[in-house]
Formats: sequence, C-alpha cells, structure tokens
Amino acid sequence: MELRFFEIYRSPEYLGIIFDGALTSLGLTIASGVLGFLLAFVLAAVRFWQVPLLNYISAAYIDFIRNTPLIVQLFFIAFGLPLLFGYVWPFWCHALLALTINFSGYFAEILRSGFASTQKGQLEAAAALNLSNKTIFNSIIIPQTLIKMFPSLSSQFIFLFLTTGVISEIGVEDLTHAGLYIDSRTFRSFEVFITLTALYVAFALMLKGILQFIFAKTLGRRVA
Amino acid sequence: MPKGAKNIIVKMEKVNKWFDDFQALCDVDLTIFEGERIVVCGPSGSGKSTLIRCLNGLEAHQSGDISVHGTELRGDAQSVRQVRDNVGMVFQQFNLFPHLTVLENCTLAPINNGKMDAQAAYDKAMTYLKRVQIPEQADKLPGQLSGGQQQRVAIARALCMEPKLMLFDEPTSALDPEMIKEVLDTMVSLAEDGMSMICVTHELNFAKRVAHRIIFMDKGRIVEDQPPADFFKKPKSPRAKLFLEQILSH
Repeated sequence: MELRFFEIYRSPEYLGIIFDGALTSLGLTIASGVLGFLLAFVLAAVRFWQVPLLNYISAAYIDFIRNTPLIVQLFFIAFGLPLLFGYVWPFWCHALLALTINFSGYFAEILRSGFASTQKGQLEAAAALNLSNKTIFNSIIIPQTLIKMFPSLSSQFIFLFLTTGVISEIGVEDLTHAGLYIDSRTFRSFEVFITLTALYVAFALMLKGILQFIFAKTLGRRVA
Repeated sequence: MPKGAKNIIVKMEKVNKWFDDFQALCDVDLTIFEGERIVVCGPSGSGKSTLIRCLNGLEAHQSGDISVHGTELRGDAQSVRQVRDNVGMVFQQFNLFPHLTVLENCTLAPINNGKMDAQAAYDKAMTYLKRVQIPEQADKLPGQLSGGQQQRVAIARALCMEPKLMLFDEPTSALDPEMIKEVLDTMVSLAEDGMSMICVTHELNFAKRVAHRIIFMDKGRIVEDQPPADFFKKPKSPRAKLFLEQILSH
C-alpha cells in the first residue's frame, strides 16, 4: 500500500475541517468538564450532608448516569427529549448538555467517595476545635478531597474527553466527525485515522499537562 | 489539689458509657478543681481515652452527669459547643490538618469561630508557637516536621483557643523515644503556668513530676485516685500493683 498523507495535509479544506473539529471537541470537553464538575460538587455535597430527599435523588441520578451508555444518553437528549418538549437546539447544545450530565455523574462519585474518606482523626480534631460544620466542610474536607482525588478526577476527565467522539453520531462536527468526513471523501482511511489518533493523544496529554499545572500552582502547594 | 483552688472545672457523677454491649465507663465519679493536673493511667481498654473523650463530647455518655467549667453536657449540640469552647485537646496521632501550614492550623479555629480577627489570631498563634519553641516553622506544612514538632504544634493549636482545660490523649505514644522529651517539656512548662490538665499517659516520670493526682482505671472503673507519691509507693488495689510491677519491670 502506498501512503498518501499529502492528500490530507496539502488540502486547506481538510486541514480547516480538522482544526475546527479539534476546537469543537476541546471546547465542548472543557465546557462540559467545568459545568459537570460544578454540578457534581452539588450532587456530592447533597449526598455527604444527607439532605433529605435530595440525597436519594442525587444517589439515583449518579447511579443512573454511570450505568447507561453515553451514546444512549446522547440520543435520548438529542432525539428523545425534543419530541417530548418540542425544543429545537443546535447539535452542539445537545452534546454540551449530554456531556455535562455524563461528566457530572462520574465526577460526583469520585467527590462523594473523597468526602466520605476524610480521616476520622481530622474530623475529631476539627470538632475538638469547635469548628462549625461549614468550616469543617470548606476548610478541611473539600481541600483534602481535591488533593486526594486529583489523580482520579484528572484521569476521569481525560477518559471522558476520549469518549466525546460519539457526539459525531448526532451530527456535531467534532474531531472524530472531521476524520469520518475526510475519510469518506478520500478513502485514505489509514492516513486519516492515524492522524486522528495522534491528535487525540496529543490533546489528551495537553489536557493532562494543563490540569497538572493548575494543580501544582494551587492545591499542589499544600502537599508536603 | 493546688493551693487556693476551689472552683470545680470537671464534675462527673455516676457516668456510664457503653459501646454496644461493652461497658467502657462504669459509674465514674470524678471531681477536678481548677489548676489541677491529673494523670490517667491503666491497662489497655480500661476506659482512659473514653473518659477524656466524654469530657469534650467526642463521645456521648449514656447515663450520669458531666459538667465542664459549669456547663452540663446534655447531649445537645449547644452544650457540646459551649464545653468545647473551654476545652483543648491533643491527640495521640497529632491530627494536624496536613494541607494547612503550621500557622494556619493555629489560626483556623480562632478566626472561624469568631473569636478574633486575622491579625489578632496571627499574633496569638505566633505567641504560642514561640511558647512551644517552633515559631520558625510557622510557614511549613505539618508533613515537613518531625513527630515531636508536630505534636508541639498541636499543643499550640489547642492553646490558641484559650482553653480553661487541656486534655491529652496519650500525646507521646506515637513518638520516637528521642522526641518524647521535647513534648513532655512543653507539657511541664504548661503545667507550671497553672493550666488545668488531664493527661492519659504511660510516662510515669512525668506523672510523678507534675501530677497532683493519679487516676488508675480498670475495666471502666476508677480504681485509684491519689497523689503520685502514694500511688507509686502503696497502691491500694491488686490491679494497680500488678500494673506498676509490669510497667516498671521493663
């Protein structure tokens, strides 16, 4: 077989499609990562404080999200719910909503287990110092959880980034969609998908590096 | 009893405490006056830790009365908070907050409990860190200090709340032999300043040196309660005799 990478790399159209696709993938991942994390925080806090009723809703939500395939959640939000509620959104909005919901379930479970694994001695010391529940949560439990769970949160985030390729299935023109499009025009499947693979690796490592940088500049300073 | 002391700081009457079927405290009666220094000793599982943990509400007792500095512990959040305002505690495992600097460990409670503003809390923390002789470590994290230094920070942290009573739960048991002395010295200097203290420890020389009374516990009961000189020379109970023989023979 003859490799013909130039068919892709010399075409401004294809390069543009790849560039736009990459921006869409990264943008949606970061946006839904941030939103999902905030939602997860609320879900996990509600469970930790055993807020009546909301506690159970949160537990059911987390279990539900973590036990259904992302692609089914995506189809449900993109094709199922609009029939019921009659909304018409751009494709990327459906993707953003579905990814946010999906991310939040996984992040919430990590945060919840982090909150719950705060050492007994830490809580006793805090109680003996007469700290309020609010101070204990904000100043002891949250920072210790973020420090302890950073590796899990970070690798979960990277993993979820890699699964975002499925949003191409509902017509979002992401990085995977760009690859599929170029492949369908050129039939250079090997060249296209090796390029895609390399780009996903590069972006995953880049995201990991950014997260580690942020951690090192913030809570990482508080690790002896 | 120290000279001139008349105010009662701790009163326990017929206190009972169970963990499921296991009775940890059994009809405990105990009166401690302000300025008194009490050492609690006894075999493992005799209820020493439970006794002092009941005094700041870390454990709830099931029957009997406990009052600390005039506040009765009734099991409600308010009385527990009121008692904890007056009681400092030092733990076997230090339990410093590892993500906070030494200074932040000391200022967290005074600032958040509305006792003082940041500047006053800082001044107070530095005063007590000097007192335990580690002001130069103020900006380090606990994990960067030795065990002895960490325990001294824990003492300073408790003192920053200006407690009327200090509880020590085996403060030197987790330390290397060389570090025990620096912590005991800190406690001795605290004792010399007239702080009311209850200390669970097996450091009998410390007990001889600073304690007004030694309380010996066995199976949840207070078996002996006498001045160190009497306790070490002529323990009344066979159990205390055996305990002393074993602890002094090695």
